[in-house]
Amino acid sequence: MIGRLGRALEATGTVLVLLVVWHFVAASGAFSDFLLPSPEAVAARIIDDALSGDVFASLARTVVTALTGFAAAGLVGAALGIGMARVRLVRWFFDPLVSIGYPMPKIAFLPVFLLWIGPNFASQVTIVAFSAVFPVAVATRAGAEGVERTLLWSARSLGTSAGQLLWQIVLPAVVPQMLTGLQVALPVALITTIVAEMLTGGDGIGGAMLGAMRFADSPGVFAGIIVIAATGFVLIRTMEVIRRRMLRWHAEAAS
Amino acid sequence: MTSSALISFDRVGHSYRSNAGVLVPALADVSLDIAQGEFVALLGPSGCGKSTLLYLLGGFVPIRDGEIRVAGKPVTGPGRDRGVVFQSFALFPWKTVRQNVRYGLERMSLPRAEQEARTARLIDMVHLNGFEDHFPLQLSGGMRQRVAIARTLAVDPAILLMDEPFGALDAQTREIMHEELLAIMARRPMTTVFVTHDVREAVYLADRVAVMSARPGHIKEVVTIDLPGRTEPGVQKTAAFGAYVERLWGLVKNEAVQAAAGR
Repeated sequence: MIGRLGRALEATGTVLVLLVVWHFVAASGAFSDFLLPSPEAVAARIIDDALSGDVFASLARTVVTALTGFAAAGLVGAALGIGMARVRLVRWFFDPLVSIGYPMPKIAFLPVFLLWIGPNFASQVTIVAFSAVFPVAVATRAGAEGVERTLLWSARSLGTSAGQLLWQIVLPAVVPQMLTGLQVALPVALITTIVAEMLTGGDGIGGAMLGAMRFADSPGVFAGIIVIAATGFVLIRTMEVIRRRMLRWHAEAAS
Repeated sequence: MTSSALISFDRVGHSYRSNAGVLVPALADVSLDIAQGEFVALLGPSGCGKSTLLYLLGGFVPIRDGEIRVAGKPVTGPGRDRGVVFQSFALFPWKTVRQNVRYGLERMSLPRAEQEARTARLIDMVHLNGFEDHFPLQLSGGMRQRVAIARTLAVDPAILLMDEPFGALDAQTREIMHEELLAIMARRPMTTVFVTHDVREAVYLADRVAVMSARPGHIKEVVTIDLPGRTEPGVQKTAAFGAYVERLWGLVKNEAVQAAAGR
């Protein structure tokens, strides 16, 4: 009983300490309510927004944008990574592009997509996918290049045609590293979604936070931060669970 | 060059390009005939090209110099007639023991029931009953290699290629695997080409041992092993066994010393 309470305290301790400090700093009057609203005021705002349904509408919009872009990045990145590992022409063309694009701040392309597509869902998904595709492509490529040749040879001598190798051997063998790439890409997708929403407006959490700022509604701004932090935490934990399920065969799951 | 040979290496050579871009000869002028049902060991120090020779026979590496014929037909690529077992096991780690063994059967047009029956029979043959739903990483090295052997035998190859198959196992497990391999061979004879650098292993398992020397690899001498009662316990302690080991070790030693000195 005490053990379980202890573990719960250990896991949430940092957050609790932060909340307590926040409470006392806000209550001390060192900052105005406008600069630093109390945690109680922020919590009340979140509950209000939750009861009225507003927070779920913004959140749904943000999550749908992030996950749509993330899914597109996953598909394109996996295909690109495997293509770069196995097809000389694809490697020749995309290798320099990926080398330049990977470390570049992709958000710089947002104005371009806004010009081309307009300030809408499609341009937000495009910038999210564009930002998140690189880690997936790079990790998948490394995985596909690392597939042991004896695995491919064994499959061939067991009657697998050269054309079937991709689906039968390369794709399943590449899953662990592809998942690693996706785990890097997921927070990138969330960050890009929020930034894109802040820059283009709209109904998402990012847009709502910007709106709250314009109306000098600081509890609204802080409420947005907390909601998006919690959402990111849940999404990343979900991803970890999916990884464990998919990699039951892998060394990391063997224990 | 007898025409009755199942496998014929006909003046096979092979070169690879080094990192510096220089063409390095790895094999030169290898000719060897292997008869149906024969167990031939390729013995030599590391770097003598014995594994390369096996990969050429497997069809995994393109043959550019000379010819290898199996049942009279030149090798042009991998095929189900030549099953292969690697030192690194090369199991599909995302598949269970049962799925690994069944893999080749799924690629033949066999009824599902027949696939299941053959898979079960092979798992039984390599004593892995009860481990059907384990993943390879949950098994010991010896068990993994048993899965690999069962997976290869499932598709009923005429020829078995083994690339230092027990090299990654500890000494006791290796002994057990040797006995099991001979037991499997007694039940289901197969033409086998077995790459090793272990002299005792070669003498214990092979009908003939082709001793290879390095740079470029070629066959130095072929020794026929005539050990009556090979499967009897204690054969490794007999004088005949010791004499073969001594003789082969003499042939290999010089090469090994030179290879180790990095000539």
